[in-house]
Amino acid sequence: MGERREEGEREIGETDLYLRILGGFVVLVTTEGDMIYLSDNIREYMGLTQVELMGHSIYDFTHPCDHKDIRDNLDITGVPGRSRCGGQRDFLMRMKSTVTHRGRTVNLRSAVWRVLQVCVSRPSLSCVLFTCQPLSLSHTLLHTHTFTSQHSMDMRFTYCDQRVTGFLSYHPEELLGVSVYELCHTLDLHTLTKSHQNLCSKGQSVSGVYRVLVRGGGYMWAETHSAVIAKPRPTQPHPSKPHPSKLSPPPFIACVTYILSGVKEPTQLLSLGQMN
Amino acid sequence: MSARNAAAGGGDRATGEPTGDVLVEENQSHSVSLPSLMTPTSAAGMTSGMELPRKRKGSMDMETKSASNLVADMKDEEDRSEGEDSQAKIKCFREPHSQIEKRRRDKMNNLIDELSAMIPTCNPMSRKLDKLTVLRMAVQHLKSLKGSTCSFTEANYKPSFLPDDELKHLILKAADGFLFVVGCDRGKIVFVSESVAKTLNYSQTELIGQSLFDYIHPKDMGKVKEQLSASELYPRERLIDAKTGLQVQADLPVGAARLCPGARRSFFCRMKYHKISVKQEDKEFQPSTSKKKESEKYCTVHCTGYIRSWPTSQLGEEGGEGEADKDSSHFSCLVAVGRVHPHVASLVSGVNDVLVKATEFVTRYAMDGKFTFVDQRATTVLGYLPQELLGTSCYEYFHQDDLPHLAERHRKVLRSKEKIETNCYKFRTKHGSFVTLQSQMFSFINPWTKEVEYIVSTNTVISSDHSRTDRSGDKAEQLSNSKASEDDGNKSLPIILGISSTSSTMVYAGSIGTQIANELLDYNRMNSSPSSGNVSPFTVLKDKSPLQLTLSSSNVPNGEVADLEMPGKSSSEEGEQQEHRRPQFPAGESLMGETSQLDMENMMDPGLGGLSNDEAAMAVIMSLLETDANLGEAVVMDEMNWSL
Repeated sequence: MGERREEGEREIGETDLYLRILGGFVVLVTTEGDMIYLSDNIREYMGLTQVELMGHSIYDFTHPCDHKDIRDNLDITGVPGRSRCGGQRDFLMRMKSTVTHRGRTVNLRSAVWRVLQVCVSRPSLSCVLFTCQPLSLSHTLLHTHTFTSQHSMDMRFTYCDQRVTGFLSYHPEELLGVSVYELCHTLDLHTLTKSHQNLCSKGQSVSGVYRVLVRGGGYMWAETHSAVIAKPRPTQPHPSKPHPSKLSPPPFIACVTYILSGVKEPTQLLSLGQMN
Repeated sequence: MSARNAAAGGGDRATGEPTGDVLVEENQSHSVSLPSLMTPTSAAGMTSGMELPRKRKGSMDMETKSASNLVADMKDEEDRSEGEDSQAKIKCFREPHSQIEKRRRDKMNNLIDELSAMIPTCNPMSRKLDKLTVLRMAVQHLKSLKGSTCSFTEANYKPSFLPDDELKHLILKAADGFLFVVGCDRGKIVFVSESVAKTLNYSQTELIGQSLFDYIHPKDMGKVKEQLSASELYPRERLIDAKTGLQVQADLPVGAARLCPGARRSFFCRMKYHKISVKQEDKEFQPSTSKKKESEKYCTVHCTGYIRSWPTSQLGEEGGEGEADKDSSHFSCLVAVGRVHPHVASLVSGVNDVLVKATEFVTRYAMDGKFTFVDQRATTVLGYLPQELLGTSCYEYFHQDDLPHLAERHRKVLRSKEKIETNCYKFRTKHGSFVTLQSQMFSFINPWTKEVEYIVSTNTVISSDHSRTDRSGDKAEQLSNSKASEDDGNKSLPIILGISSTSSTMVYAGSIGTQIANELLDYNRMNSSPSSGNVSPFTVLKDKSPLQLTLSSSNVPNGEVADLEMPGKSSSEEGEQQEHRRPQFPAGESLMGETSQLDMENMMDPGLGGLSNDEAAMAVIMSLLETDANLGEAVVMDEMNWSL
């Protein structure tokens, strides 16, 4: 039975299968930045085709502010034999996409930036493999072990859904105005800071694993996927009736937090915020 | 068309029957509707030289061609251009070229026959089908073979130096993952890739056929079951609306063009991993039999994939293995890649070892030096329980002699972006003795607001200070020491507010931190515009307390000295009141740091009759006056060092 299934998969093409499962595509890049190979399913995510991109420089299709990160990862001296993925995401990269977030197809000139999570590995000295996964703004939440929250740009809670109570024993109201940096274990500060920085500069982020403190004591392992939500500017007001505020509403951060473990060391009090 | 017909007609008459194929080709231009008229019998009839149904055919020399070829040619309706070419060529190179063409046609016809034999839908047809129909059916069949939910229409291109296998391995290796396929019905592991040996330390053969649930942490079983439920192939996704950031229910998935976004699954779960140990105490546990929780090791695995469904009709016998849901006609399974998160357990285990005397612990201080976080190792070093430390000022524990140095370090760390190291200093333990520590501190700065949130300190034990008799002992001795060094203290601690009376030594020690914090706040306030850039919901908060602003703004040189202590002391008092009711989160150290703690409570708990701004301000003034009464010692303004 297993064999037959395996054969069925092989018909499709194993690499395609893996990529499809992962929900991403791969790019093989030389140390100079030339994309010498891309998996053909890139079209699904970015609209651009394998044929269009092959041979071009990756710098032509990625956000200028990310070029330094890309260069660092392509650098022959910098990257060790294999960088670890899964939790320690290597870096985030913004790439041009001719498919918008809503699914519309646009011209390359009006391409949007799509944030990709990139795992880096080095199959040979002369080239680097980027396994790219788009960070989706939408999440399939099946009611287990996740909760959503909103934050101001400094990562203080502005909203939290009720499910947080089941995990952290705080009521949503108790968290308003509280910074996530108060809720995390100190040893994970760097992890969260990096994620916050990515959010501010690239608009989306995955935190990697960190410990979130539980009321009364102890902590849980968690991972947070977040995105900056910038509301569109309100439509132009009538010229004779000036709009009270011409500023668009402030951006905020939307987060989905996955709880990965149960409560560890429930009797261990760690922070002031845990004390009742 | 008419010209061609005329030519063909002319050809008919002119050439007679030099070769059968010429005539046939000429006749091709007539035979547009040929296939519909064709029947096997009539085709057979042709070979026997019978009159053809089509009168236009004219005389033909059929015997020269084999039956199948003739039939195939009769079916060839679309080769008009070919016919034209052939006609043109025929006029130039009749005989050799026609032979070439014949061979080519024969080959093509053979291939199409082979193809029709392979296609199940073509086979049962009693009549032989035309080429086009055969091709059309072949395309349909291939599509159905590949599955209704996916179609790989683009050719797979792989560079020659990167064979398919290698790429696959690279991806899995890079991700530290393994592929697995489990039946949705019972969680039976149908397939798992070899790379599982590297990640979970189980061999491929060990796992195939087992139930996935034998390897999942008990508490995650519900979660995994839910993810496997294939009843909703297209579950209603709970999306975050990009406009509002709130959850919405959507029936159709929204997002980039995906093959089948609704069937995607992405979740974390804890999976057992096989711990290989050389120690004799660690037994290799049998996953299926071991029930002891402490011997089971789990690691967090991020599973991403999709649900794939096969109709059981295609499975034939295998469908009866028990995997297929008997009620439905589909066999579903989860096809996913599991990627191991860095071993979470190992990060904890080192810290958890309370038996071994810890040499290092981490703490967080609020800007004013109050403990807001202590890791568990602190207890073994200092003797205090966390609740005894949290909320108290670190200065209460520092040895007298170290106060100036540490205060200076404190001040420096608030202003610097780098790590600041202290010299060795003594920290009073619970039992009265001192332990020598050395600390590395840095201010944690919020990436967005660029303001200090708190101070993080990694404290290392240098040596346990039990042997020094002149310092160890009870509190009385300490106090007498402090009394003796009073005058010295005043001279060497110009910035410390009157460390005088014994009972309030600790109180004043605590105020050191507050003062330092306030210095920074004043500095910030004077040197930068109030947070105009921070357009957050809390901007409103900051405007809400003008009274406190006034009070704080008096904290400039020449202002009331007592003001300095106000925020620290009052907030701690407030805090004590509040502590019993709700968790007290340390105040955000923004520009309104010293007041925001009160505001926080107001905002978080208006219902409990939290203090209004005016009341809060009044409480602050009251506590200030109380403090004044306790002072009993004039504060020497001149000696205060406002290092702004």
